[in-house]
Amino acid sequence: MSPAPDTAGRLRRLLAILTWLAQEGEAPIDDVAARFDLTPNALVAELEMAACYGVPPYSPDQLLEIIVTDETVSTRVGTALARPRRLSPREGLALAASARALLAVPGSDDSGALSRALTKLDRALGGPTVDVELDTPALLDVVRHAVDRGERLAITYYSASSDQTAERTITPRHLFASEGHWYVDAWCEVADGVRRFRVDRIASATPAGPAAPEVLADELPAPGDRPVGPAGSTARGAFVPGPDSRRVRVATDRSMTWLLETIPSAAPVDDPGDRPVWELFVGGDAWLERLLLRLGPDAEVLDPVEDRALAPDAAARILARYGSAPA
Amino acid sequence: MAQPDRLERVTDLLLVLLDTNRPLSLREIAERVPGYPEGHDARRQAFERDKKLLRDEGVPVVTASVESEDQTGYSVDPDAYYLPDLGLDPDEQAALNLAVAGVHLGEPIGREALSKLGLGGRWPRRGAPLPLVELPLVDGLPALPALFDAVRTGAVVTFAYRGETRTVDVAGIRFRGGHWYAVGWDRDRGEARTFRVDRIDGLPAAGAAGSSELPGDFDTDGAFAREPWHFGSGDAVEVDVAVDAAEAPQVVTALGPDAVVERSDDGAVVVRLVVTDVEALVSWVLDLLDHAEVLRPPEVRAAVVSRLQSFVVPGAAR
Repeated sequence: MSPAPDTAGRLRRLLAILTWLAQEGEAPIDDVAARFDLTPNALVAELEMAACYGVPPYSPDQLLEIIVTDETVSTRVGTALARPRRLSPREGLALAASARALLAVPGSDDSGALSRALTKLDRALGGPTVDVELDTPALLDVVRHAVDRGERLAITYYSASSDQTAERTITPRHLFASEGHWYVDAWCEVADGVRRFRVDRIASATPAGPAAPEVLADELPAPGDRPVGPAGSTARGAFVPGPDSRRVRVATDRSMTWLLETIPSAAPVDDPGDRPVWELFVGGDAWLERLLLRLGPDAEVLDPVEDRALAPDAAARILARYGSAPA
Repeated sequence: MAQPDRLERVTDLLLVLLDTNRPLSLREIAERVPGYPEGHDARRQAFERDKKLLRDEGVPVVTASVESEDQTGYSVDPDAYYLPDLGLDPDEQAALNLAVAGVHLGEPIGREALSKLGLGGRWPRRGAPLPLVELPLVDGLPALPALFDAVRTGAVVTFAYRGETRTVDVAGIRFRGGHWYAVGWDRDRGEARTFRVDRIDGLPAAGAAGSSELPGDFDTDGAFAREPWHFGSGDAVEVDVAVDAAEAPQVVTALGPDAVVERSDDGAVVVRLVVTDVEALVSWVLDLLDHAEVLRPPEVRAAVVSRLQSFVVPGAAR
């Protein structure tokens, strides 16, 4: 549940409920509560209070006329507060962006209803203004079908944090896009637990038969609330320091602040002069190598000292690919 | 009697201002809406707070001069408040419900927008078949709604970006790779530019509606700088990069299949990129560690090698 809103938030919510109810006529309390992110008790309390609002002479247009029964709530169509209202820029943006985002998911609008709705919405808002591009990894459909059908997949997966490619058998459970990438939360038979995989790092996927019923019966919480072991991702909301991750402190030039700010686990801990010190959690050597190479030779690992060799070693390894010996 | 709930007073105020066919003075409003304090100053202060709340919520409270001791009257313009019917069919309403349920913006604003439009339809049940999309929207991006509105109304905008003031005719806003961008015509530079919205300082100042001078045939899609190495102002260079089987799926997903000029049986690829910022490209290639190698041109190859050599301290014993 969201924190208790202020008067403006309550007014917004009350008007939203009235307008929605006017369209629906009557609806179960539980449905209304779920839609507007309230507990059933809080919903009933708020609506019973609002049912007393209104001013003399109580013309039909002036009454809120909310009827709360044991199980349902209803309102009369046509009150002044229940008619459709113009959208604020934020609301227009939110709606147009949501529709565009879902349209960017392959196979999400087979009937074309969403495109038609968006055309009408664009017309009311003043023309198309927003575009949403989502990655479409080659194996997105394969993973999605496995989720829909409750099937296992044998995959080849490259983990960027450990720099290892490995075979795993997984039961994909929940597919979602975050920070522009597609992820799947899946039961991993190697790890014997739920792991998060980036779909664009799956090199191959072959159906491996139906999922075990006990795996499918296990209800997963929403992706944002779910602690899962990292499987190669550092995206916000997707990174949770795992049991194997270590704490690293790095001093860099201030001009690199923007890069460190993109790392969810990184926090500035000390700021002596022009070289702030950052602390971050590192899940694998390869991940830290990538970061240090991007930060430049000027960045200094303060501790652990063993990690000081990572960037020069990685640089030498890559130079070998270019046929150049270190200078 | 207990102090009336402020929500009740504000709701009643909205009802009264919507119902009236002439502007009402504050005295008339206080006669109709219960809950305003007695004293003139306290009443004025309470009313001003309520009026601000309504306006902040997008309610068009208009003022007009009236003959009373207050001299000012208030009402809500119904034409500016209500929305003409969008004419959405039931399946289109259902599709919008699904979009709002499946796309997480970090706040319930999408739901509120749907309700404001008067769209019915039940919330899709948990476990709906569609995947979920997280789209960070307004959180930390105060400039975004302002840019959206500028595109909508055709207004030129001025904003601070990387320490400079930019005047831009914005053609569109886009989400890609976890970030929001504004694409448009940069008047000071006289060329099409792409701006990252999270790097805009403060709120953009919008000109009047219709003040944008964007040509009607502006190619928003063509002007959009999709990758970090498109943001530079250097001459465009074609760069070929070999990527091995481990990183190839991710790289091809990010760049699109059209970037691939060669594909090996083991899954390795060669991608061709058009680069205007070599530094940004070098950074991207290094992020792929020894899974990638710049093949040509020689000067970009040399830039990678020189950057790598700067990490290796000559003669350092380890």
